[in-house]
Amino acid sequence: MVQYSSADIDAAFAAVADPVRRGILERLGRAEASISELAGFFRMTLTGIKKHVAVLEDVRLVSSRKTGRVRTCRLGPRRLEKEAEWIEKYQRLMDARFDRLEAVLGRSKE
Amino acid sequence: MPGTTTRTKITTPSEREIRIERVVNASRDRVWRAYTEPALVAQWWGRGHRLVIERLELQRGGHWRWVEHGPNGVYGFEGRYREVTPPTRFVRSFEWDGMPAHVAIETVTLEDLGDEGTRIVIVMQMHTPEERDGFLQSGMQQGMDAAFAQLDGLVHNS
Repeated sequence: MVQYSSADIDAAFAAVADPVRRGILERLGRAEASISELAGFFRMTLTGIKKHVAVLEDVRLVSSRKTGRVRTCRLGPRRLEKEAEWIEKYQRLMDARFDRLEAVLGRSKE
Repeated sequence: MPGTTTRTKITTPSEREIRIERVVNASRDRVWRAYTEPALVAQWWGRGHRLVIERLELQRGGHWRWVEHGPNGVYGFEGRYREVTPPTRFVRSFEWDGMPAHVAIETVTLEDLGDEGTRIVIVMQMHTPEERDGFLQSGMQQGMDAAFAQLDGLVHNS
């Protein structure tokens, strides 16, 4: 079994800790945009925007595709709020299960 | 939900894994028995719902099938034991009737913490990120059922 040092979801939250990257997500939430459109919108260099987009792509919050010389970015495939919601609900399920286990273990103590 | 303690730690170490950790106040031998003796499993794994242990063949290649009867449906889970090492670890395949043919590998490890009890570590490994998300969503579905069941209990007891 492969052991990972840090949680994938932590990386995603770290990615959105940066205000520019949150801005990119907000902007892409309205419509997809090219790298140069994003650079214009945030008054940044192409290189600077590309770096931020790469971080968001690493954690799958943004995906992009190249058509000719234009790279178009969009949200996804991951939806952070959905994932956090699933994990919270799943945690409640497991809590309920293990609470029950502790009750059973308490009963069978003797 | 304010006032609710969540003592179970859930993390997603990779896009194909879910890791679940919980410390329970009991010796490792007793936790192992609760996980492997049908009469004991039936009392807790279904979170208070009726759980029918149709199969629990605790040996390599042995079949397990546990069926939970919730207020909003019946959920069957099954698979085969791949490794059984009492009282520390078992590995089994895990398939939910609601997502047929999407098989996860569940590794359950029991760590003896002495006076502190036993740490249960479960790692569910899927083949694809989509399967992992599907699995989390299925848990969400059942979690809601559990919440409804608790609500039912409150309504009927008040």
